[in-house]
Amino acid sequence: MEKKYKLVQKVPKTPKSAYNHGRFISTLLEHQLKHFNEVEKSLLKAGEKLTDVSKIKTELQASKYLKKMTARLHPQGAEEPQKAIQRRRARKAAKSKIKGRQAKRRRT
Amino acid sequence: MSAGLDNLKHIVVLMMENRSFDHMLGGLTKQYPKINGLTGNESNPDANGNRVKVQPDAKFQGQLDHDPDHHFPGVDLQIFGGAPAGPGRVANMQGFIKSYATQGTSAKASQAIMYYFSPDQLPVLTRLATEYAVFNGWFSSIPGPTICNRAFAHYGTSFGNVDMNLFYIQDPIKSIYERMIQAGHTAKIYYYDQQSSTMEIVNLLKNQPQIFGSYSQFIADCNGNTLPDYCFIEPCYNDHPGPGGGQILASDQHPDHNVREGERFIANTYNAIRTNPQLWETTAMLVVYDEHGGIYDHVVPPACQSDGYSAPPDKTGTGAGFNFDRLGIRVPAILVSPYIPRGTVVPGPEDPNNGLVFEHACIPGTVTSFFLGNYDQRTIREKNSRDFLSPLTDTLRPDDDCWVFDV
Repeated sequence: MEKKYKLVQKVPKTPKSAYNHGRFISTLLEHQLKHFNEVEKSLLKAGEKLTDVSKIKTELQASKYLKKMTARLHPQGAEEPQKAIQRRRARKAAKSKIKGRQAKRRRT
Repeated sequence: MSAGLDNLKHIVVLMMENRSFDHMLGGLTKQYPKINGLTGNESNPDANGNRVKVQPDAKFQGQLDHDPDHHFPGVDLQIFGGAPAGPGRVANMQGFIKSYATQGTSAKASQAIMYYFSPDQLPVLTRLATEYAVFNGWFSSIPGPTICNRAFAHYGTSFGNVDMNLFYIQDPIKSIYERMIQAGHTAKIYYYDQQSSTMEIVNLLKNQPQIFGSYSQFIADCNGNTLPDYCFIEPCYNDHPGPGGGQILASDQHPDHNVREGERFIANTYNAIRTNPQLWETTAMLVVYDEHGGIYDHVVPPACQSDGYSAPPDKTGTGAGFNFDRLGIRVPAILVSPYIPRGTVVPGPEDPNNGLVFEHACIPGTVTSFFLGNYDQRTIREKNSRDFLSPLTDTLRPDDDCWVFDV
């Protein structure tokens, strides 16, 4: 925080011991995997094998599958945010340049 | 229209996982009597019929490692205390320990379902609830689990679903994101990262990936003043390795994930808005939980207007059908904006004259009404749902009067 604020509430850190990627997946994660598996089924190409999500038991294994599937559906999610902003700004600038040129053409 | 609404440009909804109102905020009643939490005398019978009172003994992790049942039949037991489905039975909120005990937990361990956090354990939620507006009567939309409840936040209905199974959206109802974008507004769902991803997979991520972004994109959008008109944020749902050998902790607060990490996530999300003056004065942020996660709450869920769907007995698992005419168990809900006076409490069912009932259909309901005005292609339940922006007033609190979190 660069600016000084008058009212500041300290938030305690989570202990490192809280981390456990070997934890068994909850029913929530189990269903998240099943839903992704349905999508995977619909995207399978000839010769490709469907992932057997029933073999996924831990949060680490789940996270790897989720990453694989999400990257396939939404590759932008891996993008560095700064790069995404730069790209959006560049697109905006290009758009306004084009609009400017069109307006100029109309005027002439 | 209040000045707060006049100046409002962004609505942000952060939906956490599986904690009841009393479990997270019930301990506030002693200091703030208007908050409808716990007196300390609320109790449930254990398997032997002994009364077990609520206690401020909740732990951040390791106490609910058997994920408490929150599927439709389990919640039915929690609400009705085990009375079989049928006309005339009375909801009494007396089946929570009974329900947890059916999961193989010991007699002692099953009492943990009655435990709640003391306010000092949850500095972030406590601060937001007492500094801005807390809703005494915000209920999950269905007495059931995550997926169908989250559906109400995206579509205003679960299309007849009461469980975790796949469902497909049905014409003419569109997601709140699609409605917004079609009307020339901007809308997004931010998931934490690709390893955690989203819970809205089959309908939205597969078919409309353009409405998604990552949490780091949310932070960048806040910093760059490119936040959409409406956005919905999903916490991290699992523990996984982070970039450069780091460790990313689940921040959803789903048992048995660490509750403190969820506090930090809420604080970071709040800070991203709070520390940008332009955004702070033009944004309302709702922190809400999808459902109670099987954990005790003392308020009986009220009846509600049906959304026109029904679930047959083989889907509910209780032996009776369900017409979507009763809400699920109460959850924490807090609205944040500098236009909300400190200590605002929106009364719920405890106030028969002025009490208001909210549920997740209020999310697309309010966002649609605020940005799009009259819009017909939605369920009657969503159309008639309460506006959750009503706590915004004409008065902007001075910057020095609003807290920041040091995370």
